[in-house]
Amino acid sequence: MMDIEFEKQLRTIANGMEYPRTPDIAESVMVSLRSSTRPRFVLKRLAWSLTILLVFLSSLMLIPTARAAIIEFIQIGIVRIFPRPVESTVETIATAIPDNMPPRTATPGEPLPSLIPLLENIAGETKLANAQKTAPYPVLLPTYPPDLGQPNHVYVQDADGKMTILVWVDPQQPEHVVMSLHFIPEGSWVIHKMEPQVIEETEVNGLRAMWAVGPYPLRMRNGDIQFERLIEGHVLIWTDGDITYRLETDLPLGEAIKIAKSLEPIP
Amino acid sequence: MDESTLIRRAVNGDTAVWEPLVRIHQEAVFRLSYLLLGDPDDAEDIAQETFLRAWNHLERFDTTRPLRPWLLSIASNLASNRRRSVGRYLSALTRAFRNEPALPDTEEKSLQRLRANELWKAVQNLNATDQQIVYLRYFLDLSVAETSETLQIAEGTVKSRLSRALEKLRNIIRDDFPVLSEGQEL
Repeated sequence: MMDIEFEKQLRTIANGMEYPRTPDIAESVMVSLRSSTRPRFVLKRLAWSLTILLVFLSSLMLIPTARAAIIEFIQIGIVRIFPRPVESTVETIATAIPDNMPPRTATPGEPLPSLIPLLENIAGETKLANAQKTAPYPVLLPTYPPDLGQPNHVYVQDADGKMTILVWVDPQQPEHVVMSLHFIPEGSWVIHKMEPQVIEETEVNGLRAMWAVGPYPLRMRNGDIQFERLIEGHVLIWTDGDITYRLETDLPLGEAIKIAKSLEPIP
Repeated sequence: MDESTLIRRAVNGDTAVWEPLVRIHQEAVFRLSYLLLGDPDDAEDIAQETFLRAWNHLERFDTTRPLRPWLLSIASNLASNRRRSVGRYLSALTRAFRNEPALPDTEEKSLQRLRANELWKAVQNLNATDQQIVYLRYFLDLSVAETSETLQIAEGTVKSRLSRALEKLRNIIRDDFPVLSEGQEL
């Protein structure tokens, strides 16, 4: 009885709440829908494409060597890693390091090749504060290494889920990227990385993570948007909730995990 | 045209019918986002994102169910994600409380607004789950069934969570918000 009276009073008081005037959401939503590709119908097209692709792949499945190569991939979050063909890479998928790769405890290797031409082709460069305002999830910054500072470039890609990319460049050689961190929400982004030389399962804060060592081609696709590049650095990928994190660095695994564990909300 | 017809047409790709559906629900979605985030600009962003996301995933929506709880559920999730950035949330709340309400038309209205604002502040002392349920039931006036649909929990769970949240809220009001108790049996 007391609860009923209390509820009644709460409702009465809450009715007096003064809200800001509701903006014309419908107008802005319809403008967005009209000005962008209609993702639901892109998905329908994609579904047809996938159907055709599946028919094609099914026919390939009849060939034993092709089947081995096709079905062998590792999925983490929205990232799908295709190791080298099974026949030649059984050992490669294990934790052994190829002779031509630096040991994971080594000091950082050569800086990554310039990403700038690629980055210039990515729409959505913005400021960090705007990225946090735009992205519907916390944009986190590494607090390790302590002298890292804020990213030099920030991008928010708006395509059925806002993907944020933070990029740090070498202060001595600003054309060289030393680290990038991607926040990829659930949506239609699909990232394929083909044939990295080492794939190792690890953990970040108790969450499953994958460590892939380049070089390898990377293909990112979202509906009609696609870009590719050759990655020569290493990549740590993990997921937390709806977000897939992708840390690209030339640092060894131990350092990459320390960076991943140090992520904090923007102060 | 009733809402279920509009939804069915939207599911079949009729963009034009999405606009009236947004207009029907935009106020509830915006208000819930505002209550959860404390900032009108953020609330507008979340509301817009909610309707775009709903449109993009409309094929997954069960057209036999009401639309509003589903929309509020999306808005609530998006707002919760945004709130996790603690600094932003606190600064938004600071802005919200710095903006004093407009001058009232009457003394009685002024008192109503003051009390409602105090209640909002009191609710913010609850945890996020309890806040959600209180906003849905008392600020947006959703039924138990709609609250259950929005939070995707059983109606019995809604009632038990509400009961616990109300108990906590009653204590908070008694200890820290005496203005809400004045002359009332809160």
